Amino acid sequence: MIYYYIPLIAVFLASLISIRYRTAGYIITAIASILFFLFTFKIFDYITYFYLIAAIVWIITSVFSISYSKKYGRWLAPLFILTIAGMMTILYANNFLVFITGWEIMSIPAYLTVAINKRNDIEAYIFMLFSEISTVLIITAAVLSYYYTGTFNFTGLSSDVVLLIFAIGAMSKMGLTPFMISEWLPIAHGSAPANSSAIFSATMTLMGVYGILKIAILSPVSIDIGILFIIIGVISVLFGALYAYISENMKSLGGFSTIENNGVLMAAIGLFIAVNDSVLKEFVLISIAIFAMAHSIAKTGLFISIGHTGVEYFSAVTGGKDTVNQAGKFFAMSSLSGLFPSLGGLGIWMILESFFMGAYLYGPLGIASIIAGSLIAMGEGFATAAMLKIFYFTDSHRRSSGKNLENYTILGTGITLVFLFAMSFLIIGKNYISGIPSVLVFNGLMIESRLGVSDFGLITPLYILILLTVFTTIVFLVFGKPKARIAHRWNGGVENDQYYNSFTYSNNIRLILKRILRTTSTDENRVETVDVFWMIMINIAMAYRKFAKFTAYKIMNSRISAYITYMIAAFILIIIIVSLI
Amino acid sequence: MKYYEFGDKTGRYVGRTEKYDVYTSTLTEADKEENDNEEKTQGEIYFNYGPSAGGLRESVNFQILTPGESIRDVIINSGFKNRNISIIGDSISDAMLKVERINGFHSASHSIAYALAVEDALNIENDDLNDARIVEIELERIRSNIDVIKGLCESAGFAVPEKQLLLLREEVARIISGAFAHRYYFSVNRINSIEGDFSRISLRTVEKQFRSIYEGLLSSKIFLDRIQENGIVLNPISTGPAARAGNFRYDARLDSKSLIYGKFNTVLEKDGDTFSRFLVRAEEIFESINIIESYGVKRIFRKNKMELSGSGDGTARIESPAGDLFYYVKIKEGKLADIQMSPPSYLNIRNFRSALRNKNIFTDFFFVWESFGIWISELEVKFQ
Repeated sequence: MIYYYIPLIAVFLASLISIRYRTAGYIITAIASILFFLFTFKIFDYITYFYLIAAIVWIITSVFSISYSKKYGRWLAPLFILTIAGMMTILYANNFLVFITGWEIMSIPAYLTVAINKRNDIEAYIFMLFSEISTVLIITAAVLSYYYTGTFNFTGLSSDVVLLIFAIGAMSKMGLTPFMISEWLPIAHGSAPANSSAIFSATMTLMGVYGILKIAILSPVSIDIGILFIIIGVISVLFGALYAYISENMKSLGGFSTIENNGVLMAAIGLFIAVNDSVLKEFVLISIAIFAMAHSIAKTGLFISIGHTGVEYFSAVTGGKDTVNQAGKFFAMSSLSGLFPSLGGLGIWMILESFFMGAYLYGPLGIASIIAGSLIAMGEGFATAAMLKIFYFTDSHRRSSGKNLENYTILGTGITLVFLFAMSFLIIGKNYISGIPSVLVFNGLMIESRLGVSDFGLITPLYILILLTVFTTIVFLVFGKPKARIAHRWNGGVENDQYYNSFTYSNNIRLILKRILRTTSTDENRVETVDVFWMIMINIAMAYRKFAKFTAYKIMNSRISAYITYMIAAFILIIIIVSLI
Repeated sequence: MKYYEFGDKTGRYVGRTEKYDVYTSTLTEADKEENDNEEKTQGEIYFNYGPSAGGLRESVNFQILTPGESIRDVIINSGFKNRNISIIGDSISDAMLKVERINGFHSASHSIAYALAVEDALNIENDDLNDARIVEIELERIRSNIDVIKGLCESAGFAVPEKQLLLLREEVARIISGAFAHRYYFSVNRINSIEGDFSRISLRTVEKQFRSIYEGLLSSKIFLDRIQENGIVLNPISTGPAARAGNFRYDARLDSKSLIYGKFNTVLEKDGDTFSRFLVRAEEIFESINIIESYGVKRIFRKNKMELSGSGDGTARIESPAGDLFYYVKIKEGKLADIQMSPPSYLNIRNFRSALRNKNIFTDFFFVWESFGIWISELEVKFQ
């Protein structure tokens, strides 16, 4: 039995070893991640797909870190590996206590990583504040679970309250609406290194999804909470994608993209909670697993691409282009845009199928499903624009750069996403796999979405990839390498060395949605936007401070008469509440 | 100089010649123009358009300062259409051949303004030609305004009204050609002389056809949405239809004595946007038809050959289709010793820039540009 926990022990040891031997620490972490996947992954047990996802991300980021973290001090490696150890603890947990322990082991090194590389104190504090809010709520959920079941073990629940409180706790860590700031600010402005940003964004938030899903599986069907999660998810998708598109800080873009992806997952979890049809429910669960897998791997690719630029803002990018890097980025960004032939394309197809099938459940859930499906599709459109921005503006297109390990890591994520897309029929349950031999789509290669016994839609990822490859190859063999005649561009007849940049690329949305984004022009004639959720939070905090000040002066002002009035009022209020209960 | 003198600034600013700033009745030494280009901030680029690009009929280059989509400033370089005209020392008659070719589209305005300035310099009595010259200019105004509105339709991608207006512009050109034997008034206007058959001018059909197109455009919400509330400029230093669209009652037909107009209605709008300029241009077509009909000039004018000699200096200011057009001439023994011209495009191009700087986006650019009816050809003239 002890061998089952070897990866966890190895990662904790790796964090100690890495204090002195950084490369050894990363290598041990990568090997432990492989072992973790081998020991825990079970085909068709969809919750274990999260183990596979986490393992892939940890392997990629650990390999990337060998070269990348040389630029940072000696504490990055142990903190990075300890965060992974915390996440692994969460995935090993079969009760609330171990889960909470893992949650804290994951969070504390993360604050330190942000704090050590800080520019201001505020980012680390905000990160800590939202993490601790999440911990408090998860502890509350654990206590409530104990109250209902008499044990801290993860076991079937008769009430959906535990799920609600747990989910709000996890949401504040995942940066979902209205807690968006908890995700993007520490990443964007805390100067967190790219490898840490990648695991914050790709797997730390995945732990939230994993936790909610784990409790959701144990909870009874609840249409109300389901619809609430769908609403929160959809708002997060739209705003996450929108803010990602207009972000000039590349890491902030990645953070908002994670909010958007987590929004999709949250909405899908909402559907999972609300649906009673066992076939659809299982399909939604697989969709969540596939989408989460696509997101986490591609997000890792995105952050290491950003890290590879060596700068934070698009405007500062000067590095040359490289074919290996671009090919990797292309597939990673395609995946985050929900496009074929990458796993993200399959993931978003399955999620949208789930919602559109949900429409046939009729009633409020049916309406919520069809609206959510449409809005998620719209959000994906914005996401594509944001990903194009990353793809195009993270290179300076005027010269080439040399090859290095970081570029091959990026390519690795891209190829992984395409490979998983093509082979996805192997990891999806038999109920959803079929074929149409009469049109040469052999049994076992086609994925079907199903509502009850009936088919809804179908897709054959392997065929998509094969057809794309075959036709491209045939065209190439027949016509050879395309002959491109490069002409000097016509620019009205004059020389002009100005090029479209990332800011001008996304300024249309700043102007079109100026009422939502609060687009203004500063005194220095710069166009600026505001995160409305952050603004609302600040306003609430200010209003609370004002209220507290008012209370302090008017009631808690050392006047005995005010105290007596207050005590009498409180006493009457308590009597009323008690009598109502 | 009956109507102008050198001295202090008086009245409204009309424009600038190579040497002088022109007001309604005085000329002063031209002030130095200051550079007021906006500083480029982070994220912004200069987007290049022209000088040789689709959508531009004359060579002009725009460097549009933009943070993306919105226009914060535009640097206009009109120097690609360099027009150095060797005219100093020419005889008065030979000079007319060059003047009437400065801007073919507004040839009547230029040739009449030049003739009026020469007549002022040489004290030539010209009252009997006043009405006929007004008819010529108003006829030219009709064609020019149709052309501006056609440009707005073209910018909106409204191919049907655009082609209808092109046809109508051609109809007016044929009326001009029928009456004056040249569609751009070449060889029509001479010093104290006109050649043309005014009885052939009939605008009934033009009025009817234009009204039908105009009402169609006014009922198109898509068209109006594109031109309303963009390119706003309310600048007291402006001229012509662009000034009147901003509720400034500026009109050389009212405050210049070079040509004496009878009573007519000045078309004014308040908002100063592209839509207002469109309305002023359109309504002035009807008003010009009224003016032409009110004079009832129907006779045939024959060329009057007269010996031109003498010395003196003279000025003239008339309301060309785009605004105030001013000429100053200095004659020594029948030869041009100096000639200065202030075209309306001088102020219009500056106000076009101000209008663009006022919260516009890329798609507004063409509407704003077309609505001013600017001619680079007259802007870049340098007399030598």
